[in-house]
Amino acid sequence: MLTRFAALLSLVLVAASPAAAQRAPIKIGAILPLTGSGASYGVWMKGGTEIATEEINAAGGILGSKLEVIYEDHAADASKAVNAMQRLVEVERVPFTLTSYSAISLAIQPIGVQQKVVMMNGGGQSDNLANKEYLYNNIPLISNEVGVLCDWLTQEKRLKSAVMIVANDEAGRNSAKFFRERFTANGGAVLAEEVVALDGNDFRAPLAKLKAAGGDLLFISSYGRNVAIIANQARELGIKAPMAATSWVLIPEVLRAPGAQGMLVTRLPYDANSAFARKFKERYKTEAGFFAVQYYSATKIFAVAAKAAIEKTGKLDGPGIKNAIESIRTFDTITGKLVFQPNHAALLDAEVGVLKDGRVEVEKLVKAAH
Amino acid sequence: MDLVLQLLATGLVVGSVYALCALGWGLIYGTTLHFHVAHGAVFSLAAYYAYAAQKLLHLSLPLAFVLASLAAAASGLLIDLLLYQRLERRGAFRTSLFIASLGLLIVVENALAIIFTPDPMRMDIGVLDTSIILGPVFLTYLHVLTILLAAGGYAALMLFLKRSRWGQAIRAVSSSPEMARTVGIDLSRVHLLTYALGSALAAPAGILVALDVGAEPFRGTRFVLVASVGVIMGGIGSIPGALLGGLFLGLLENLGIWKLPSEWQSAISFGTFLAFILIRPRGFFGRTVKSAEL
Repeated sequence: MLTRFAALLSLVLVAASPAAAQRAPIKIGAILPLTGSGASYGVWMKGGTEIATEEINAAGGILGSKLEVIYEDHAADASKAVNAMQRLVEVERVPFTLTSYSAISLAIQPIGVQQKVVMMNGGGQSDNLANKEYLYNNIPLISNEVGVLCDWLTQEKRLKSAVMIVANDEAGRNSAKFFRERFTANGGAVLAEEVVALDGNDFRAPLAKLKAAGGDLLFISSYGRNVAIIANQARELGIKAPMAATSWVLIPEVLRAPGAQGMLVTRLPYDANSAFARKFKERYKTEAGFFAVQYYSATKIFAVAAKAAIEKTGKLDGPGIKNAIESIRTFDTITGKLVFQPNHAALLDAEVGVLKDGRVEVEKLVKAAH
Repeated sequence: MDLVLQLLATGLVVGSVYALCALGWGLIYGTTLHFHVAHGAVFSLAAYYAYAAQKLLHLSLPLAFVLASLAAAASGLLIDLLLYQRLERRGAFRTSLFIASLGLLIVVENALAIIFTPDPMRMDIGVLDTSIILGPVFLTYLHVLTILLAAGGYAALMLFLKRSRWGQAIRAVSSSPEMARTVGIDLSRVHLLTYALGSALAAPAGILVALDVGAEPFRGTRFVLVASVGVIMGGIGSIPGALLGGLFLGLLENLGIWKLPSEWQSAISFGTFLAFILIRPRGFFGRTVKSAEL
């Protein structure tokens, strides 16, 4: 009896009106590092996504439907991310998810392809993320940024030999590979390399080895809060050579770390005084970092693509969103025009500078070669 | 050569922490024959006690250190009183105790993660992180303190076991529980004392690591594993063996990467352990490991 009533009720609901059907919320996923060594990125990524979602909904949603984001924590663990992706796809039936981290995005991408779910990565930068079906990156690949960094270090800072400490994961190894290639191509030499766990917290032995190897420079090919520990322990062991790293390390823990002051870094530019940045700070009581802007933009890009997909096909599904992204390609974001390259990644300008007193003193801007 | 000296010093610091864990774990295992993996929970609890004492009660670091160690000792005692002794009275096998201990470890770790988040909780350590330069070797005051506390903990434990009445009772129970009972020693009280002492030794280890890199909920598991390996390498029932086993593992992990890549750091100690128990199952000083002893 109850089943029959439920069946009848659902029939009535479905038949009610197309307007009612349209008002059902559009659900998307967001697989982010909400805990673990990269929890600071998670604060920014989630905050950026939340603000974008609110703005989209305040402006009437996506063609009248409210946007709803389901957040999942991957804690830098690919198996957690795969479970989260399965849940998003099978239980929540999302057509689109935000993703983060190189290893995580690569782990969930086959599921996205199989289930026709579009994935937008705004954080991971491994070059292996390029040319993956259903996966788009509104962030440049690491080879670009490492290239900018190496050119600056060798040509302007006149540093000729380097040692590297490398996180044992997709992102760490990939960035180290390009650093070695570019630094050597520019006439420098990489004297030693030590691979360490991403979630480690005692790096003294590998650092002692790198200190013994010498070098004008210590390149830190890692990310998350352990970079702060690496920097502090390097100074504690008496390593005097300057350290260098990419924009990954620009999180509060590293910016504050005494050992990290003087670090030579790349930075992907954004306006820290924009309306978005002010709104973020007011709401979360912390400065909005680059990754907050990235996920704000990624959510806005989704809204534009989703609207286009619905207008074209009358429904919202993965293939429709994918086609919309491919055909629109250039999106207006708060950091300027963002163009998806044929390899599914973005190109952004990069700045180089020195970390001083908890912030980056920019030395120059390097335009992206479009 | 400079590198070897630095690795030796770093290894000595890491080994001191392992040694403190192993001394406590070895004392408990040698006396009660409980495979007390919840020692890892006590190790983690001590760190959070110290964190709470400093950050929530606003106590000075030395006071927080002492109070946290006492609280950890009480925690260890309560684990024996409320869990192991009850199970033993009901005639539980050692395997059941081990499973209960493992269950407790998991519950405590997860509770800590829920209360304090899985992120490391940093404490204020003042000047302790200042480097001391000894020729080619760089250490911090915290590292020197770690080595001193391990040495002090070992000396105090030996003195207690050799000189005090209660210490002699522990040794009696350790060498033969049946005989000890015959001469009128109260086994359950000796066990409680052993747990309090063993936990008081694990506490500084947990707190020192937390002072260095922050308190983390899931760290205890690895340390109790290393402690048990250290004890078995040193020889079960031998206190000098536990000290040596802990120091040996710390030194091995660090000196091992002199010629090997860093990613092998954990594998070195456990690989050596496997070789060790195959070749010399008695450890440096102790009794043979029997499968029945779990």
